[in-house]
Amino acid sequence: MEKELFSTLPVPTWRWLGVNEAYLPEELQTLPTPVRKIQIDVPAGQHVTQVIANRTEQRTEITAHVAEGGSLQLVQLQLLPSDKAGTCSVAVTAEKDAQVYYTGAEIGASRVLAQVKIDLAGDNSKADVAALYFGDGTRSIDLNYVITQTGKKTEANMQVRGALQDSAAKIFRGTLDFKAGSKGSTGREKEEVVLLNEGIRNRSVPLMLSAEEDVNGQHAVSAGRLDNSRLFYLMSRGLDEKEARKLVVGALFATVLERVPDADLREEISREVEERIEHGQR
Amino acid sequence: MTETLLEIHDLHAGAAGREILKGIDLTIQKGEVHVILGPNGSGKSTLMNVIMGHPGYQVTEGSLTFEGKDITALKTFERARAGIFLSFQTPEEIPGITVENMLRTARQAITGKRERIFGFRKELKEMMEELQIDPSYSERYLNVGFSGGEKKRNEILQLLMLRPKLALLDETDSGLDVDAVQIVSRGVSKFHNGDNACLIITHNARILDKLKVDRVHVLKQGRIVEEGGPELVDQINRDGFGHIKETTE
Amino acid sequence: MEQQKTFVEDIERTLYDIRNEDHSVYKTERGLTEEIIRDISRQKKDPAWMLDFRLQSLEKYYRIPLPVWGPDISELNMDDIVTYVRPGGKMAGNWQEVPEEIKATFDRLGIPEAERTSLSGVGAQYDSEVVYHRVQKELSDQGVIYTDFETAVHEYEDIVKEYFMKLVPPKDHKFAALHGAVWSGGSFVYVPEGVHVDIPLQSYFRLNAAGAGQFEHTLIICEKNSSLHFIEGCSAPRYNVTNLHAGCVELYVKEGARLRYSTIENWSRNMMNLNTKRALVEKDGLIEWVSGSFGSHVSCLYPSSILHGENARCEFTGVTFASRGQDLDTGATVVMLAPNTSANINTRTISKSGGAATYRSAVKVTPGAKGAKCLVNCESLLLDEKSRSDTLPVMDIETDDVEIGHEAKIGRISDEAIFYLTSRGIAEEEAQAMIVRGFVEPVAKALPLEYAVEMNNLINLELVGSMG
Repeated sequence: MEKELFSTLPVPTWRWLGVNEAYLPEELQTLPTPVRKIQIDVPAGQHVTQVIANRTEQRTEITAHVAEGGSLQLVQLQLLPSDKAGTCSVAVTAEKDAQVYYTGAEIGASRVLAQVKIDLAGDNSKADVAALYFGDGTRSIDLNYVITQTGKKTEANMQVRGALQDSAAKIFRGTLDFKAGSKGSTGREKEEVVLLNEGIRNRSVPLMLSAEEDVNGQHAVSAGRLDNSRLFYLMSRGLDEKEARKLVVGALFATVLERVPDADLREEISREVEERIEHGQR
Repeated sequence: MTETLLEIHDLHAGAAGREILKGIDLTIQKGEVHVILGPNGSGKSTLMNVIMGHPGYQVTEGSLTFEGKDITALKTFERARAGIFLSFQTPEEIPGITVENMLRTARQAITGKRERIFGFRKELKEMMEELQIDPSYSERYLNVGFSGGEKKRNEILQLLMLRPKLALLDETDSGLDVDAVQIVSRGVSKFHNGDNACLIITHNARILDKLKVDRVHVLKQGRIVEEGGPELVDQINRDGFGHIKETTE
Repeated sequence: MEQQKTFVEDIERTLYDIRNEDHSVYKTERGLTEEIIRDISRQKKDPAWMLDFRLQSLEKYYRIPLPVWGPDISELNMDDIVTYVRPGGKMAGNWQEVPEEIKATFDRLGIPEAERTSLSGVGAQYDSEVVYHRVQKELSDQGVIYTDFETAVHEYEDIVKEYFMKLVPPKDHKFAALHGAVWSGGSFVYVPEGVHVDIPLQSYFRLNAAGAGQFEHTLIICEKNSSLHFIEGCSAPRYNVTNLHAGCVELYVKEGARLRYSTIENWSRNMMNLNTKRALVEKDGLIEWVSGSFGSHVSCLYPSSILHGENARCEFTGVTFASRGQDLDTGATVVMLAPNTSANINTRTISKSGGAATYRSAVKVTPGAKGAKCLVNCESLLLDEKSRSDTLPVMDIETDDVEIGHEAKIGRISDEAIFYLTSRGIAEEEAQAMIVRGFVEPVAKALPLEYAVEMNNLINLELVGSMG
């Protein structure tokens, strides 16, 4: 059976790196899985908040349209059981003066594919994306985020934070795409990854595409172990290494979690991450 | 005998369609030191930028005359070559261009003569010593990684090296400690003589210690609302702007 | 203004577009067949193993598809390309013996003068053959070998056999396979253990025939604790047909050795520059790449560094300037295989007049590369609204004990920076040129003076009359 394509890197690169395409996990292809479809329409000038804590649906598709001056706060928390695969794709179009706040957390599932596409179609529209992921065991996380800046004076911000432990593998593709005519637009992208032990695999693919001169774009990636001096400091205050790790990873995730409006959900994710660090293989 | 250097006549200017300067009249003679005071947002920096010809501001009415020549339509570099210099409030950081390279290029552009590298370097070194700037800074990129005080001293270094006829000093003393203000103030007084003039924006007046101030102008909401001699500086330092009369519509 | 523009462009054309009459004594048929490969091999009096190597590579070339990524190279039709063009005359050891016309070309490009003033050895390749090769006697006395590649195949056959296309095997990609089949000319450098070549060696490649290909092979071996700076310059006159450059550079940096490989490439705007460069760096070794890409119609160039030994290092400094009609896809790859390896990648790209510049890179950290460090910094400048600039880095990390940092910026020259400089009396155009030169300063600094000057001249040629 031919593999079904789930998402692609907006501009392909060397094939040997294995980042150009993401294919649907086999279990979702062989056993056709119903796709839950969610449609969100934000009327002009209105604000909509939608929080999706997903524990059961293996395939989700969210499409949203934010009309002029509207704002959407979309929170998508993937909390599937650890033996299930899952996919989620999000597509949002923002009209003039519209604002999109997207918060994502990839916590569960054995293999997860997530795609987030935001089109800043209207002038002065804004996208603020913050996401976290935690990979442990043999989990595989595949993310493809694309913010397309079409309107004038649009603003994109993409902050992604993650931690990998055991033999988890992750690909994060983050693209800022400045289209011709997107004059006065700015884009910022940053991924911070903490690598908790050897045996992980981290692939980071930050793309910045520009067909417009009058833009200001920046992206950055940093990947490495926990800062030794910080770890030492915490341990000198009586914490053991695992406790120190929990604290540092917790701090890394805090700015993303703050955006989750429900305190119980925030608590649930923090606890889950702490527990997994506690039970890490090393 | 006095000679007029800069004459500003009924100057209206603004940015992005908003008028900031609403009719400024100001005349500066050679040999004079003028001070502009005014609360934040009164248009002081805009006035400096407009005199220098910042492309982000549009002159909608009035004129600027420099040594009898109308410069209202001149580009920034043409005004600089005519002899106007602006010491920036926040000097730009420009990677890849060294202080020395920029200064030599600028001086050649202004004088139209080739600078001998050796003589120029010697002069630069002397000026840097004078301003207590580490000599290695001549090879550093323009303002990149300079502290606030170093940037301001670098502005004065440029003033001394380029020897303009009119120096516009936009809060050159702000954010500096007492010693640094002394150095900057010494630099300005070294520059100033009977053939040139200074127009100074200041908040703390310490930069004026070594200078004889001729005229003080108080700017409020884009208009000069009060003028006077050096005594006005002390008065405003003491009493603030509160008692200065509001603009008359 | 217009006047000046025309004037300057005229200079540029006369310098790089000198087109000599085609006096070649021998030309292969168009297209690529086994017969042609046998022909080339016969002409070069290849040893039998080399003929076999060529034929095997040809097989691979037929089999391997074109890459699915990168710039559009569909206009390249291999059947239209005369793969082998041999200019008249024999190889010379004395500049006076080089045919007048060829000599005049190189003279105008300043090659012999560069040799007299600042280089310890020069190789000049004209189309597919090396016409001139010299190396200072002091160096040859120390055992340094610097010769054209054909001579190396015969005189240093064992070394060539051991290293040739081992680092870039023909199966790597279609153009590596093509290179393996049709390679011609190039340089061979061998620096014995402990020898430091203090003055740079230089090779200059020039493609003169229309619709031809240049497939030179460069093989440099720096033995333990030796050091070398090698400079490669490339140019070609402008023709209306597509030319192809598919060279191959293989660099072996042994334990504790240092090699700096500098390139200023200014191929004419009809050149497809599909070049493969790779370095293998052993323990404590250092490869430094300095790469300036200005010419060609399409470039795909990503020098790669395989850091094979502990503490092996790579420093990559690159500048790419894409102007009208150019699609320049450049960057670097680094593969970190050993503990405490490190890489610094620093690039600047400029796009203007509808040119497209892409920064593409791959950093791979394998599980064994504990303590690896890699810092990437790339900045892109767009000079007008017709141009395009893309940044496509990939980092693939398979161990936790790493420090990986990547930063990229894209934007235009700030109006405030222009205002600052013009307020000092510098005209707008000059201010912009200064800022662009400042932007590429990290690269200029890494180049020998005369090349830094040439690079600045190239930038000025590109900028004058087209901005402001």
